[in-house]
This record gives sequence, structure tokens and C-alpha cells, in this order.
Amino acid sequence: MRDRILQTLRDLRAYALAKGYEVSIDYHEEESALMRFANSAISLNTSEHLIRLGVTAYDGRKRAGYDLITDLDKVDEMKMAIDTAAEMVQHAQPLAYQPTIPTFSESFADESNFDPALASLSSEEKLAYFNAAAQGLESDEIKLSGILSNGATTLAQINTRSEHTQYFRFSDAQATVVLSHLNLKWEVQSEQSAHTRSVLDPQPVHRDLAFLLDRYQREAPVSLPLGRYDIVFGQAAIADLLSMMQWIGFNGGSMKRGFSMLGEDKVGQKVFSEKITLSDDPSRPETFPFRRDLMGLPRGRFPLFEAGVFKGFAWFQDDADEFGVQPTGHTVMHKSLVMEGGEKDIPDLEALINMPRENDLLYIPFLHYMNIVNPSKGLVTASSRFGALYLKKDGSVAVPYNVRITQSLLDIFGEKVAWLSRQTLPYNTSMSYGARNPTAVIVPLFMCVKDLEISHSNTSY
Amino acid sequence: MLEQIKQQIDRLKAKGVTYADARYYPFEESNQLFMQNGNLKNASSSRESGVGVRVLYKGAWGFSASSDLSDLPGLFDKAFENAKAAAERVTFPVRLAEKDAIQAQFASPCQINPFEVPLSEKVAFLKAMDERMNQPGVFLRNAYLTFMRKQIVFVDSEGSQIEKLITEVFAGLEVNGMDAQGVMHERKFRLGQMGKPTRGWESIDLDLFAANAERIVRELNELLVADDCPKEDRSVILLPGIMYLQTHETIGHALELDRILGYELAYAGGSFVTLDDFGKLRYGSDLLTVRADATVPNSPGSFGYDDDGVPCQNVTLIDKGILVGAITGRQMVEEANARAKKQIFQGSGGANRATAFYRVPIERMTNINIDPGNDGTLDDIVAKTERGIILDGDRSWSIGSNREQFHFATEIGWLVEDGRKTKVVKNATYKGFTLPFWNSLSAVGDESTWQLQFVENCGKGQPNQIMQLGHGIPICRFDNVRIGE
Ligand SMILES: [Zn+2]
Repeated sequence: MRDRILQTLRDLRAYALAKGYEVSIDYHEEESALMRFANSAISLNTSEHLIRLGVTAYDGRKRAGYDLITDLDKVDEMKMAIDTAAEMVQHAQPLAYQPTIPTFSESFADESNFDPALASLSSEEKLAYFNAAAQGLESDEIKLSGILSNGATTLAQINTRSEHTQYFRFSDAQATVVLSHLNLKWEVQSEQSAHTRSVLDPQPVHRDLAFLLDRYQREAPVSLPLGRYDIVFGQAAIADLLSMMQWIGFNGGSMKRGFSMLGEDKVGQKVFSEKITLSDDPSRPETFPFRRDLMGLPRGRFPLFEAGVFKGFAWFQDDADEFGVQPTGHTVMHKSLVMEGGEKDIPDLEALINMPRENDLLYIPFLHYMNIVNPSKGLVTASSRFGALYLKKDGSVAVPYNVRITQSLLDIFGEKVAWLSRQTLPYNTSMSYGARNPTAVIVPLFMCVKDLEISHSNTSY
Repeated sequence: MLEQIKQQIDRLKAKGVTYADARYYPFEESNQLFMQNGNLKNASSSRESGVGVRVLYKGAWGFSASSDLSDLPGLFDKAFENAKAAAERVTFPVRLAEKDAIQAQFASPCQINPFEVPLSEKVAFLKAMDERMNQPGVFLRNAYLTFMRKQIVFVDSEGSQIEKLITEVFAGLEVNGMDAQGVMHERKFRLGQMGKPTRGWESIDLDLFAANAERIVRELNELLVADDCPKEDRSVILLPGIMYLQTHETIGHALELDRILGYELAYAGGSFVTLDDFGKLRYGSDLLTVRADATVPNSPGSFGYDDDGVPCQNVTLIDKGILVGAITGRQMVEEANARAKKQIFQGSGGANRATAFYRVPIERMTNINIDPGNDGTLDDIVAKTERGIILDGDRSWSIGSNREQFHFATEIGWLVEDGRKTKVVKNATYKGFTLPFWNSLSAVGDESTWQLQFVENCGKGQPNQIMQLGHGIPICRFDNVRIGE
């Protein structure tokens, strides 16, 4: 298949050259499948096979694009897409800066992140995974929901500036398993991200769900008084906070446009707790990494924060062009964020609960519906969801109704950070809006932040 | 193509499927233009075509979709295979509410096809708007145009055949500026229905946009020297630019029947509403009447027939503060009635929609509208407000997983003291619990305050789907609301 895709791209390049066009061509193919559960049944079982061709045409400082959902037999349609983009660029308006046209100095292919067994996981295997993850946990009142999404993503590129190609292929799976109470409306959740078939294992999911379910069924719920708490964020919450930071923290274009909590003067300064080290590290296969960016730049480990010191902004090519800075190899569909763990040995939720503690701890595994209230201040807001626990210092555990926090990322990752778990795991942050783009970040299982304010507390689930 | 699709539906029927339908998109095209600080950052178009197939077998759904139409039998078999696999775990076998077999056509109103307008003319519009917004105080200015056009042919195993041609136009302006403390502020204007019956390129009214460009620049400059919003309780008067979102997030999403029945618990969340609540729950003061009206002319929430093949309707959701209806499709009304052991819903409300041929239809908002009231104009409402704040513009929104509470940040606030608008404040936010908030509704503006706002990108479902819809809302006042957090 790879040969056929690349040959098609070479043919399209020859067509564009013969017409005197300046274009770059991106081929994106996905084989997607998703089994969705609700009310303890399979509510949806889908398969989609989609091929997208994206053509960007350039003419001096002008740029225009045309995208097509097509298939490999429709070469004429693809040529029409090239003609259309080339026609559109005539009528575009010149940019105030020169956009960089992709030029590959050598051909590059990376299929090391492709596992056919994961890409082609059958419906039976997916059902078996769910059955095992929820075994013995469902009842008339406790209902299973969730998804198991798996698939293959192929990205191939060529341009008229060079004859070389880039080719990337990934397999991925994302599992989310939720148990919820039909009437009381609480929910507990466990998730898994997989880049190979062998990683997909329902047992840890079952263990976490069984543990949380037991607590939620046993303990009476409490409405927490508003005020300040020592909060332990779980993996999903940390991953979501980092996703926000990608936009209003270390993104060079956002900074230049005034939508960042960090200014240029912060580079080299200590802005977070010394416990915080974050990098973009494409050597980690769990993150579905791009080892070249889409402009052909090689990608290695890129430090973002080291022991709390801000190391520098990441730039998309177009922003780098507009603001006249060196590109950093971040023109990718997703980065490979890796947040280092800390010193606390906490391999799982049970260990967190059994850990001796000096203060009450509010455990928030998941932050629902996070949004940016004020980018300049790094202010975000979100509610707890999916299995929060209130761990009292006397060793007892209560189940809190959901709460809202509205806080700055500068505080959450700042001097209030008390500790991080040593253990880290990939957390899958893939969205399925648009083209398939498997994404995961590696984060500590737990991060404790002292003295954060709860600004809203529910009185029911 | 249509005949081949029908043959495949017949073939699966003969194999014992309960129901099958196909949505064939001969084409769906889009055109997006985005100008930032005078730079035409995005000038792109797209085109797609394909078929999505839904099969119901032994009470379970299977779906498959492809742009490659060379193997239709394979595509239909895949959907059937997926349904067979899903039938291995069924708790409430899917049933579909009765509907008529319909042969029909629908075209959304459009005078000038935006896809026939030269790119240069669209660019010239953006350039003119960009120049209008290029004023002192404006640090970053954005202008965009988005056009969509799609043809959908729906056929099902019950004998329906419906063809739709839908054209959408979205457009907006945004200015951003930095205050003395280095904090960014924004003001936006987006194209809405503006009382007009059609929506092609003719909706791009230069004078309307020019006037609004000047207004948002002026208001941004007022924000840049404004004091911060106080942190206290006040009456909030919501203008359409935030009232639409309040309605969307805390009425619209909360009343999607699939959410109420737990079908979104793995992702988007649930709803605090239960089946027992219909006909009983006080969901707002007596002043509140809400409808899901998919028959309003010229809105993305009006589409003729939904993707179950059910005609668009005007469904009452909340009648003088009492919850009476939901946003529904064929499957969910059957399940809800069965679970409630009574007939809450009389058939589908015609609100099942998919974002593309390669996605499955789910309950989506149509036009979730609030009836205008008898409290006059904004000035009338302000005159009767002792201590309040007028709010406009969506900046951020965050809602609890059962839609039970919310936090909104707005673009701008104007304090109201003793019936008079006093001063502009920045960083204005408000929050609340959904039901107490709607129950505190104390004034509803008249027809002159009513506007239909478009929503371009409402996200829901797994795989994720983006949907376009509308909200027709008057200016409303709510009492004792916490602001400034
Ligand atoms: Zn929405």
C-alpha cells in the first residue's frame, strides 16, 4: 500500500510540475472503528474508511488550500483538487510575510508505530475487553458505558520543491470505561491508551473500577464547603491542564498574539515549581510521535520546562514565518508531551488512598469541560467528574459531590505543587473531530497541589 | 447510485435486518476564509462525497461509511456485520417510533449560491472589514467567512426517499486589545438571522458588518480603560450575544433525550433531568417558554427533515416554566416511553442529525428558542433594575457534567445602578446552578429584543460530531446571580 500511495503522490507532483504549479500535497488515510457502550449495551458499532487529500498552492506570498475526501482510484479527482488550489491561489491576497514552502531534503518513512493487530482489532475483541473490564461490576442500577476506538492512520506528503516524500503510519486504541449509577447519577471511570496490541489490558481498568465502585457504593456523599483544599489531580486532569498550556503557555504564536500567560521575558526564568519538568519528546512511542515535522524538520527532545524554568516557545511554521523566528519543528498534528514524575511511590489509586497523610486531600481524577477564562492570566475553569474522593487525614474516605475550580495554570503548576507520583503513564487525548489523529501525553499518575480554592460545590450528583 | 443503494437495502432486508437506511452525499463542499491583521491566513475549500449506512439488527445498531462507492455490497455488509456484533450485548432492544414513509425534497433558502461568488469578492469583503477594525486600541483583528453546501439523499427500508440541499453562511468579526496590565480583552460580532428569510451570499450585508465593526472597536476601547467586574451578587441582564449560549448550554444540551437516557455518559455527560420530571419540573419562572423550533426560516437549525427521515417540527420544551418536552429522535422516544411506562413523547421530534456522511445521526438541537416577553426593550428592563449588570459576548463557558451548574466569562459588562447604566467593567463572569438560575428569571424582553443567533460548531458524540444550529432569544434578566469569579 505504501508504494501505491507514494507513487500516486509522485504522479500528482509530476502533474503539478507540468502545469507550472507550486504545491504541497498531504495524503491522510484512516481506518477507524469505534464500539460505544451505553446503558450496559453496545449502543453503536462503527467503521469508517476515509482518504483525504490536502493540496496547498503557493504563488509568491499567496497561499490557498483545497481538501478532498477521495480514494486512490480517483486520480482525476485528485488532479482537479490540484487545479482548484492553483486557481484559488491566483485570487488570494498576498501575506505580509513569505510563507515557507515545505521542502524535504531526504525521504523519510516511519512505520515503527504501526501494529496491525491493534489497527484491526475485531468487534469480538473489543466486546471481550469491555466484558473483562466490567466483569461482575454491573447491576440493575450500575450501568456500563464507554468506548473502545481503534484504527490506523497514514500520513504521506510530497511537494513540488523536492522529489522526496514523508510517510508516517500509526496504529492506536483508546479505551474509556465508565460505570454509572442509573438513579443517583454518579459516574466512575478508568481509561487506557494503547500504541500496540499488547498494551491493551482490561485488568488494571477492572481493578480501578472495582475499587472506585466499592467506595461510591459504600460511602455517603458529602457536599464540600467552599474554601481551600489540598488537591490531588489524577492523570486525566493533569493531561487536560497540559492541553490548555499548549495554547496559552508555550505556544509562540499565541504569545505573540497576546493569548499567553508567558511572555518572551519569561524564557530562562523560573515560572513553575522546581518539581515540574515538561518536554516534547518524540522518542516516546506511546505518544504516537512524529519524528519529523510536516515541514521536514527532524524532531528530537525539546525541553519546555526544566525544574520549573521555562526553556522556550514551540512554533508552528506559519507563526515562525509571520513573526520572523526560527522554526522549532512543531508543525505537527500533535506534540509528544512528557511530564516527568516525582519522588512519591504511588503506583495506583489504592496506594494513594492508603498513603499516610498529614492533611485532608481532595482527589480529582478528571476535569470536565475545561475552558480558558482569561488567557493572559492563565486562568482556567472546570468541574470535577468521574470518581472524585475526599481522603481525610484520619484515613477515612468520603465521596464528594462535584466541585468547580477556577484557577491559574501558574498557580496549579507553581510553588503550590507539593509532590508528584514517580509513576507515569500515557493518557490518550485523541479527539475524533475531523481526520484521525491519535494523541497521547505522558503524565504522572498523581500531582498534589496545596491550597487551591473550590469556588462552587454541588449539593447533588 | 440511488438504485444501487436501494437494492442493497432490499438485499439486507431479505437477510433479516429490522431496518436499514443510507445517507448518500453526492457532494458536501465548504469554503473558509480567515483574515488576521490583514493577512489572509486561510483561503481553503473542501469537497467530499460518500455514503453512510445504518443497519438495525436484533435490537442493535451497526454503522459503516466510505467515500469509495465501488463496493457498495461490501459497505452494507460491513454495517450489517457491525450490527451483528453489537447484537451480542443488548439490554434494551432498539425500537423506532412510527413515522410516515415520505417522498420529499427540501432546500434551505438561498438566493445567491456563495460557491458561485468569486474568491476575490470574498477577499475584498474581508479586507474592507479588516481596514474598518484597524483602529487604535486594536491589537489583533480577525474576520472570517465560512460557507457550506451539501446535498443529501436519504433512503430507508420503510420506503422514504428525501433529498435535501442545504446552504449555510457564517461570518464574523473580532477585535482584541491589551489593557495597561497586559490582559487581553475581546469583542465579537457574528452573523445571525437578522430577521431575514434567506441565507446565501446575500446575507453578507456590508453596511451591517461595517456598523458592527465600528461598534466592537468602540466597546473594546471602553473595556481597555474599564475597572474590573466586582465580585458580588447582582441581577444580570443577558444580551443575545451571551443569552444564546446560556440557553444552549443549560437548556438545549440538558434536554437532549439521549443525554437524559444516559447515552452520553462516557463523554459529553448526562442531564440532571429525569423522565419523571416531564410535565412536573419547574424549569424557570412563569416568564419562560422555550421551543425547539426547526421550522424557523433561515437558520442552520431548520433542515426540512432529520436524518431519521422525520419532518422538522416546532416542539414546546418548557411551557411557562414547566418542563414538557425534549429534543428527540425515533429511537430515544420509544426507549423513554418504555422506561417511564407511560407515553411521555408522542413520536419523534425530528431532531436526529449527523454532521457528515461518515457519522451516525444523534439527537441535536434545532433552534432552541425562547418566546419574547412583555418587559419591553433593554432600556425598559434597565429602568426597572435596581442593582444589576448587563452582559454580552461569549468568552468562555464551562458546565457541570449533568448540566446542573455553569460558569461563563463574557466579553463586556455595564453596571446598572438604580435603573441607570453607569459604567463598563472588564473580566465580567457569572456562574450559578441551572434550575435556581432559570427560576430567578424576572424579565423577558419583547419582540424587538429577540434575535436568532447561529451556532457553527456544537460538539457532541463519539466519534465526535460538529453541528450547526440556532437560538432565537430575547434579552432576559435573572436575579441574585454571583458575578466576578
Ligand atoms: Zn453545544
